[in-house]
Amino acid sequence: MNNDKYLTVTALTRYLKYKFDNDDHLKNVYLKGEISNFKSHTTGHLYFSLKDETSKINAIMFSANAKKLVFTPTDGMKVLIHGRITIYEATGNYQIYVDEMLEDGIGNLYIAFEQLKEKLSKEGLFDSKHKKAIPKFPERVGVVTASTGAAIKDILSTIKRRFPICEVILFPSLVQGENAAPDIVNKIKMAENYDLDVLIVGRGGGSIEDLWPFNEEIVARAIFDCNIPIISAVGHEIDYTIADFVADLRAPTPTGAAELAVPNLLDLKKHIEQLRIRLNEGILKIVNYQKLFLDSLKNSFVIKNPLIMYDNKKQKLDSIIEKINNLLKIKLDKNIDKLSFIKNSYILKNPEIIYKQKKEMIVNIIEKLELINPLKVLKRGYSVIYKDNKIISSIKNLSKGDNLQIKLSDGIIKTKIEGVENI
Amino acid sequence: MAEKKQKFEDKITELESIINELENGNTTLEDSIEKYTKAMKLVKECDEQLKNVEEQVNKIVLENGKLEDFKLEDNN
Repeated sequence: MNNDKYLTVTALTRYLKYKFDNDDHLKNVYLKGEISNFKSHTTGHLYFSLKDETSKINAIMFSANAKKLVFTPTDGMKVLIHGRITIYEATGNYQIYVDEMLEDGIGNLYIAFEQLKEKLSKEGLFDSKHKKAIPKFPERVGVVTASTGAAIKDILSTIKRRFPICEVILFPSLVQGENAAPDIVNKIKMAENYDLDVLIVGRGGGSIEDLWPFNEEIVARAIFDCNIPIISAVGHEIDYTIADFVADLRAPTPTGAAELAVPNLLDLKKHIEQLRIRLNEGILKIVNYQKLFLDSLKNSFVIKNPLIMYDNKKQKLDSIIEKINNLLKIKLDKNIDKLSFIKNSYILKNPEIIYKQKKEMIVNIIEKLELINPLKVLKRGYSVIYKDNKIISSIKNLSKGDNLQIKLSDGIIKTKIEGVENI
Repeated sequence: MAEKKQKFEDKITELESIINELENGNTTLEDSIEKYTKAMKLVKECDEQLKNVEEQVNKIVLENGKLEDFKLEDNN
């Protein structure tokens, strides 16, 4: 037997490894699949398999690359990886050396979520100024969710327990899958026509993909545009969707949404009973106060002794009459005094004195008149010269031939001027 | 929303404000009695609203917009 044609295992393995390492396709492989048998070694290297329905490949990611991961890989996780294929000589297994790994789907969804959140936030869709108040006592509650499943069940049972007098209207909607978002939008718009006090929009828990319709922009805008106050209730407490940010109120769960939407009837009845008690106490207080006031009036001295008022007035009247009488008397006395003073005056007592005085005055005047009588002057030899009945006291305006009259004490001389000379 | 009937919530709000006024006691007797009468009427109406309304039947909106009674399938 010629041994030469037999290869050693090592030789074959090396040959195959050489083939693999020199293949350009195998140096640069993009691969997608689900993680299984995941092991994280203390050195930081990650060992796992990547599989799909029918096949499987071993994978190794060294710590230098593993450190760059933005998530924690776990079994069952769908991932996108990049790496090179080579053969591990010790086992002869081919495997992929991974240098990059991303979460499949979820990673992209996460990015889309963040981008939409930022966009709508910038537009102001989440601003608290747009949040409508949730009415305290709704008479009609709308629910946009699936007609089957835990969410509607929880909501209905919670409302029935707390506030059974409230009417609930379900707007059945798809809540997952591609057609869910437009259906939810449609139902929100429809709900506006049913005179609702509040609208619950949501669904029960599920994977991020299941909840995805509530992260769609059209759903966010429909919630924002809706004129009914909206409570969002998507998934569990930890799940936050875009719908939660834009809704007027976010509930952690569908049950929570029902609790936020309606009051507890028992509490409400108690509250009304309290109001009734306060009301009665309030009015009693007012009536009692007014009654006390009235009593105090009734018991007042004046009301009890009304004649007192009369007495007072009477007394006042008397004092006024007295005052008036006094005033009149004073005035009268004054006048009487004045009259007696006049009566006693000297002139009235001696009226003849006036006559005597006047007579003396007349005699005096006559004597004065006597003194200035011009005729008396004429008797003493003086005369008065007239020209045209005017007395002449100067030679001015006199000329030869003028006619003059000279008045003497006992007659008039008519004469003519023979000449005029200055003295 | 302009309503033909006064909403339950508005009634409670009005009731509370009347009670506060009465408790402050700044009103005349006539005014107080008038307000009290009004408030008692509101209390009665609220009571009636909570007592007399029978349990509401849940409704579902069909594709054509019509309302129909809705019952959950009893599966547990």
